[in-house]
Amino acid sequence: MSASSALVLKTRYHFGGLLRSLRSESGFKCAFILAFALAMEAGLWALFLDGFRFLDSLGGAGTVIINRIFALFYLSTGVLMVVSGAVTAYLTLFRSDEVPFLLTRPLRISQILGYKFMETGVLSSWAFYFIVIPFVGAYAQHAGHTPVFGVWTLVFSLPFLLLCSSTGTLLLMIVVRWFPRRRLVRIAGFGLLIASLIVVIASSFRLRDAAGQATFNLYSVVPGLRLAAHPLFPGRWVADGIMACAGGQWTRGALLWATLASTALMVTQSLEWFGKRVFFEAWQRVYGGSGDRNRQAVLLPWLHRALSRFPSDTRAILLKDLRVFLRDPPQWSQVLVFFGLLGVYFVNLRSFNYHVLPPSWRSMMIFLNVFSVSAVMCSLGARFIYPQLSLEGQALWILGLSPMTMRRMVMTKFMAAACSLVVISALLITISSVMLDTDPLTRLIGLVLVVAVSLAVGALSTGLGAVFLDLNQRNPAAIVSGFGGTLNLVLSLAFMLAAILPFGVVFHLRNTVQLPPGHFRTAVLATLGWVGLLTAMATALPLWIGIGTLRRRDF
Amino acid sequence: MIRIDRLTKRFGDKTAVRDLSLEVPRGELFCFLGPNGAGKTTTIKILTGLMRPSGGTARIDGIDIRQSPVEVKKRIGYVPDMPYLYERLTAAEFFRFTADLYDVPRSTIDARLEEMFGLFSLLDHRNALVRELSHGMRQRLIYAATFLHKPKVLFIDEPLVGLDPYTIRLIKDLLVAHARDGMTIFLTTHILSVAEEIGDRIGIIADGRLQALDTLQGLRKCHGGTDLESIFLRLTRRPDAGNPMPGASR
Repeated sequence: MSASSALVLKTRYHFGGLLRSLRSESGFKCAFILAFALAMEAGLWALFLDGFRFLDSLGGAGTVIINRIFALFYLSTGVLMVVSGAVTAYLTLFRSDEVPFLLTRPLRISQILGYKFMETGVLSSWAFYFIVIPFVGAYAQHAGHTPVFGVWTLVFSLPFLLLCSSTGTLLLMIVVRWFPRRRLVRIAGFGLLIASLIVVIASSFRLRDAAGQATFNLYSVVPGLRLAAHPLFPGRWVADGIMACAGGQWTRGALLWATLASTALMVTQSLEWFGKRVFFEAWQRVYGGSGDRNRQAVLLPWLHRALSRFPSDTRAILLKDLRVFLRDPPQWSQVLVFFGLLGVYFVNLRSFNYHVLPPSWRSMMIFLNVFSVSAVMCSLGARFIYPQLSLEGQALWILGLSPMTMRRMVMTKFMAAACSLVVISALLITISSVMLDTDPLTRLIGLVLVVAVSLAVGALSTGLGAVFLDLNQRNPAAIVSGFGGTLNLVLSLAFMLAAILPFGVVFHLRNTVQLPPGHFRTAVLATLGWVGLLTAMATALPLWIGIGTLRRRDF
Repeated sequence: MIRIDRLTKRFGDKTAVRDLSLEVPRGELFCFLGPNGAGKTTTIKILTGLMRPSGGTARIDGIDIRQSPVEVKKRIGYVPDMPYLYERLTAAEFFRFTADLYDVPRSTIDARLEEMFGLFSLLDHRNALVRELSHGMRQRLIYAATFLHKPKVLFIDEPLVGLDPYTIRLIKDLLVAHARDGMTIFLTTHILSVAEEIGDRIGIIADGRLQALDTLQGLRKCHGGTDLESIFLRLTRRPDAGNPMPGASR
């Protein structure tokens, strides 16, 4: 048996094991996840269809946008796929425990690279189909195409995905191989990148300034449309190729497909050629790196003094979790992106003149903003807070052995999570309220709601994380996607709806004068009582169950 | 210092430890030997409060581990065989983290860090992340952090795995010196020469039962044989174990 066929066999065994583990999962869990995925697909489909109808209703500009929408779609997904390919390739090529094992076997670098590249391609691009299926379905229905349209999309998507993941992998390999080791050079490079971004953004603003003049054109309104429509951009080949095939222009379709496929193969071939020469050096830099010699022995040493009033064991956990979090860029960057986007949106609310809308609209917007901040908190709770006890992993013996009780440990984790969420969400909602110039009562209710959601999400995620503890799993995504993670997300979302909707309804009834002022006050107080009771239950119960489960557990 | 009375631990149908009774006095270096799966690590996990016994009692310094686990944990230290630590903390941060967990006075932490890191040759690695440390370095870091709060009882599971000869010598000397100073040490090992060299008493466990408990001389007198290996093999021989390779014995 050759080395390559051994790798294929191993992949087959791996899939066999995956199928077996899937069969051993509970039917309820599988049905739940399937229903959730289908509902998401249906929701996206409805959203896209509504978007196409809206664009259609705009007339001329809308029609042009719809004609270019496929190119725009493949531009945006293409960028995402390249980034996704680069991130996944870093994990599969440079962080995988399998690579050192394979490097000690009689395999050529190109074989290892090819095998890991296939893994990268599959892992980085499967999510693409979750977006493309409802998008293409909605477009086909709107434009009156037959289901064959989906087949053409698939035929063109495959080389497109190959092109994206090989480009991402190639870029990653260049970065890893030649990433500057010296801090000064790194800072200078980063500065240059930021400066380039500022120049690009500033130039796009100049284009927008021209929008009110005779030079107005569609490209200045829809970001990326100019690039998407460029004839040398592969996304354009995909878009035009699908349309050509759907319209019966076989020669043009085949030509565009051949252009796309040959480009994808050329980049993949370049990756193999380049990888053979560069991969081992790049891998050595990551694997054999001796670490950052400029690193401080203790990160944020002043925090130790700042938290000196805390009990020493609580301080130990807080500092440890904070340092681990700060040293994990994928973790904090996601938090930054989620809340940062909301922050940018809220700060710019007045740019859209929302603050001059009637009070009823602004009140509704506040509840929508509370809803969006809460939804982000639910997803962050599921993604970061829920798995943190499991991620203590086989190091949990350190805490289990210490004089700290399990109750204290869980409560420390909960308090840290809830306080972080309260601070960030309260800040965001305050910005939103100030920007929308809402009345004091609406501001107060907004704050109450985000504090309630922060407490409940923190408690549910910590408590259920303790109940569904998985100490053998080191991959947070796998912990989150388990039954406990799914249950946590569903319960958090249910809490969010149960807390926000009643207030939204009460304020809507007041704004539409369906609720007399006297009754409004009573309704607000009653709803406050309901939210208080619900929050107390959603906070106390999961923590109580979680602590009990941990106490009974062997480590 | 350690008193175990009829300790039992069951995992479903399997009994890992059965009716184990044992006493280890203050200042003794006790070596707990046994083949893989004999119940050594389970016993240590029960004694350190990481696992609950199915029956029986265990007392450390007169305190019942089930009734007052926190008080017991203040008095003990544990060095596991596989040093799983927080990979994204530096060595110095891990040391300080442990100091806070055991409420070591802040004023003494820096001095203890210098002392312990100096002793275990970790001073040059204080700003290295744990994930950058070799297995032996991690093990040394655990020793440094374990000795930090000066435990009365020390549990060690395979004390010398992955260590270089210098550190092995250092650890052996440290254990003997600490035992002479009154620390009770309960260690498990597969390296029988270690037990012969530094153990005050030796306990041999197989299939969850204590098979023998005595000094090395006592074991020789009672069970025959010239060295610990032959006594160990005789006491722990399984019915399903194969015969020695022909011509392998010297």
